[in-house]
Amino acid sequence: MTAAFKQTMTNALLLPQEANITLPGAGQAWLDKLRSTAAEQFIKSGLPTVRDEEWRYTDIRKLKRQQFSVQFNSPDVRAALNDLIDYDVTRIVLVNGLFSPTNSTDKVPAGVSIQSLAITLADDSLQGLLGSTLPSDRHAFIDLNTAYCFDGVVIKIADKAVLEKPIEIVHVTTGADNATVSHARNLIVAGKLSEAHIIERSISVGADNAYLNNTVTEVIAHDGAKLEHYKVQDDAEHAFHIGGVFINQSRDTSVINHNIAIGGSLVRNDIYSNLLGTGSHGGMNGLVLGKDSQHVHNHTEVAHRVPHCTSDEFYKTVLDDKSRAIFRGRIIVAQDAQQTDAEQRNDNLLLSSDAEADSKPQLEIYADDVICSHGATIGQLDPKSLFYFQSRGIKKEDARRLLTFAFVNEVVDRISFEPLRDELTQRFLGELLPDSIQEVFA
Amino acid sequence: MLEIKDLYAEVDGKPILKGLNMTVNPGEIHAIMGPNGSGKSTLSNVLAGRPGYEVTSGSVIYQGKDLLELEPEERAGEGIFLAFQYPVEIPGVSNMAMLKAAVNSIRKYRDEKEMPVGEFLKTIKEKAAFVEMDPEFLKRSVNDGFSGGEKKRNEILQMSMLQPTLALLDETDSGLDIDALKVVSKGVNALRSPDRSMVLITHYQRLLDYIVPDFVHVLSNGQIVKTGDKDLALKLEAEGYAWVDELESQAKEQGAA
Ligand SMILES: Nc1ncnc2c1ncn2[C@@H]1O[C@H](COP(=O)(O)OP(=O)(O)OP(=O)(O)O)[C@@H](O)[C@H]1O
Ligand SMILES: [Mg+2]
Repeated sequence: MTAAFKQTMTNALLLPQEANITLPGAGQAWLDKLRSTAAEQFIKSGLPTVRDEEWRYTDIRKLKRQQFSVQFNSPDVRAALNDLIDYDVTRIVLVNGLFSPTNSTDKVPAGVSIQSLAITLADDSLQGLLGSTLPSDRHAFIDLNTAYCFDGVVIKIADKAVLEKPIEIVHVTTGADNATVSHARNLIVAGKLSEAHIIERSISVGADNAYLNNTVTEVIAHDGAKLEHYKVQDDAEHAFHIGGVFINQSRDTSVINHNIAIGGSLVRNDIYSNLLGTGSHGGMNGLVLGKDSQHVHNHTEVAHRVPHCTSDEFYKTVLDDKSRAIFRGRIIVAQDAQQTDAEQRNDNLLLSSDAEADSKPQLEIYADDVICSHGATIGQLDPKSLFYFQSRGIKKEDARRLLTFAFVNEVVDRISFEPLRDELTQRFLGELLPDSIQEVFA
Repeated sequence: MLEIKDLYAEVDGKPILKGLNMTVNPGEIHAIMGPNGSGKSTLSNVLAGRPGYEVTSGSVIYQGKDLLELEPEERAGEGIFLAFQYPVEIPGVSNMAMLKAAVNSIRKYRDEKEMPVGEFLKTIKEKAAFVEMDPEFLKRSVNDGFSGGEKKRNEILQMSMLQPTLALLDETDSGLDIDALKVVSKGVNALRSPDRSMVLITHYQRLLDYIVPDFVHVLSNGQIVKTGDKDLALKLEAEGYAWVDELESQAKEQGAA
C-alpha cells in the first residue's frame, strides 16, 4: 500500500510504518488494533480537500506541499521556558511531541499521577480509555495522530483531589534542518469530584522552518469533576497547527474549554464536548486573533446526549490584514436530552477590509423541551462608540484599539484562573493598546 | 467664544441646517428649544464633529479657530464637550478607564503632564459623589445596562471631570425625575464661570428654573427663528410652537423680499 499511497495522496505525511518508526507498546493486540484501524481510516479518507464540506474554506495545499519528518530529539529548553510565565504551575514539557523529563517538573502534587504516554503504553492500563472520546466523523489528521500514538502525557487526577496549582502542558517545537511534524497525544482523566485547571500551550523555540503540530488531547471527566482546560496556541507564525480536544463528561460534571488561538499560519481546531451524564455543564470559550494571512478554522461540537445539561459557547474573533477565520459550531440535542439549555455566540470583528470571517451554527435538535439559542455577528467597530470616545478627547486610533481590546477582553474575562487571565490581559494590552492608555487597565 | 455664521449642514444628503446663525460669548448660557426634528441634535453633532454630518456652507469660529477643520478629539482638546441625547453603551470598557484615557488624552493634546493616578482617583470619587452616583458605577462598563437617568447622570459626571470651556447639553433633562434634574442642574451650575459657556438643548422650560439662561433661541426647520430671554421659554411652554411657524413663514417672506 505504501508506494501507491504516497503517490496518490501526498508526500507530506507518512504513517509510522512508512517512516520506519517503531512504536511503544507494539505487540499488544488492543493497541495494535487501535493504531491499525486509525491507519486504515487515514488511508481511506485521505487528507481533506476543499471538496469536503467541513474543509470547504480551509485549503491545506500549502501544508501538503511540505516534506515533513518526525523529530526524535528533545533538547533542553528550560532557559526559554523560564520567562514564559511568572506564576507557579506543575509544568510538563513535550518537546517535539516527546515527553521531556529534563524540562518538566519533578514535583508532582498529591492526588495526581503524571506519566509519559510512551511509558504508559507498555501495559494495557489505557485500554478502553485511549481513543474512547473520538467522534466517528473525525478527519484524517486525528487518525494520523492515533496511528502514531507515540508519546504525550497521561494525567490522572484522583477522586476528590482538588489541585491548587494548575497543571501546564507545554508543547515546544524546536529548530530542525527541515520541516517537522509532531503528533503528541494526551489523555486527561479527572476522578470523581476532582477539580483542576489544566493549561495547554504550544510554543516554538528557534523553529525557523515550517512545522506541523498535530495534537490530540482526550479528556474524561468522571462524576462531579470540575475542569477548566485552557488551550493557548502560540505557535510560530509559519507553523501549521491542527489540534483536537475531545471531552467526555459523566454526570454532574463541569468542563470548560478555553481555546485561545494566537499563532500559526494555518490552524484547525476540533473541540468536542460530549455531555454523557445528566446535570453537566459544558463550556466553550474561544478567541481568535488573526493577522497577516493567518487562517484559523474552529470546529466545535457540543453533544447533549442526556437530559438536564447546559452548555455555553462564546467565541470571538478579531481579524486584521488578510487573515481569515472560519467558525463551525454544531450543537446536537439527542431525542432523550430534554430540559437542555444550550447557548452559542460567535462575534467577529473585522479590522481590515481584506479580512474575512465565516460563521455557521449547525443545530441538530431531536428533543422538544429545550432552550437553544445562537447568534453570530460579523462587523466592524461600532462608529457610534468610536465617535463617543473621540468626543471625549481620545484619538481615533486609540479609540479603535480600546474598543478592540474591550471586545477581546470579554473572552479573557471568562478565564477563571486569575494569573492566566492577567497574563493574557497584559499581553493583549501590550499588543492592542498604546502605552498612554495601557495603565488605565492596570 | 463661539460664532456660527450662515451654517448649512446635511445628513445622508438631506439638508437639515439651513442658514443657522448664533453667537455665544464667554460666561453665557444659551438654551435652544424647538420642535422635534428641527435640527437641534444635528447642530450639536456638527459642533462635536460627528462623521456623516456634512457642512455644506457657512462657518463656525470657536475661540478664534476654524472649528470645522478640527477632528472630534481635537475639539474635545480645545474644551468642547457634548452631552449626548442618547449616550452610547460600550461593553468591556469601564467608565473609569474611559475617563482616565479621556483626561490624559486631553492633557496630552494641551502639552500638559498626565494626571497622577492618586489625583485622578480622588477627583473622580469626588465628582461621582457630587452627581450622587454610586462609586460602583465607575467600575461598570460605559453606560452598559444603565437606566436612562443613569446615562444622563454619567454624562454630567464626565463633563465635571473634563471641565469643558463650551458644554453642549443635548436634552440632558429629558426623562429625568425631579431629583435627577436637580443633580444635573447642580453639575451644570458648578461649572458656570465667566470664561465658560453652555448651550442647553431642551424641550422643557422646567430645566430653566434651575439653570437660568441668558438667551433662549427657537430653532425651527434648520434656522434660529427667534431669540429672547428666559421668558420666551415660558411663552413657548404655554403656547406651543404653532406661532413659531408663522415666524418662520414671515422670515421666509422677508428673505424673498
Ligand atoms: N442619519 C440620518 N439620516 C437621515 N436623516 C437624519 C439622520 N439623522 C437625523 N436625521 C433627520 O434630521 C432631522 C433633524 O434631526 P435632529 O436629530 O437634529 O432633530 P432634533 O431637533 O434634535 O429633534 P428631537 O427634538 O426629536 O431630538 C430629522 O428630520 C431627522 O429625521
Ligand atoms: Mg435631538
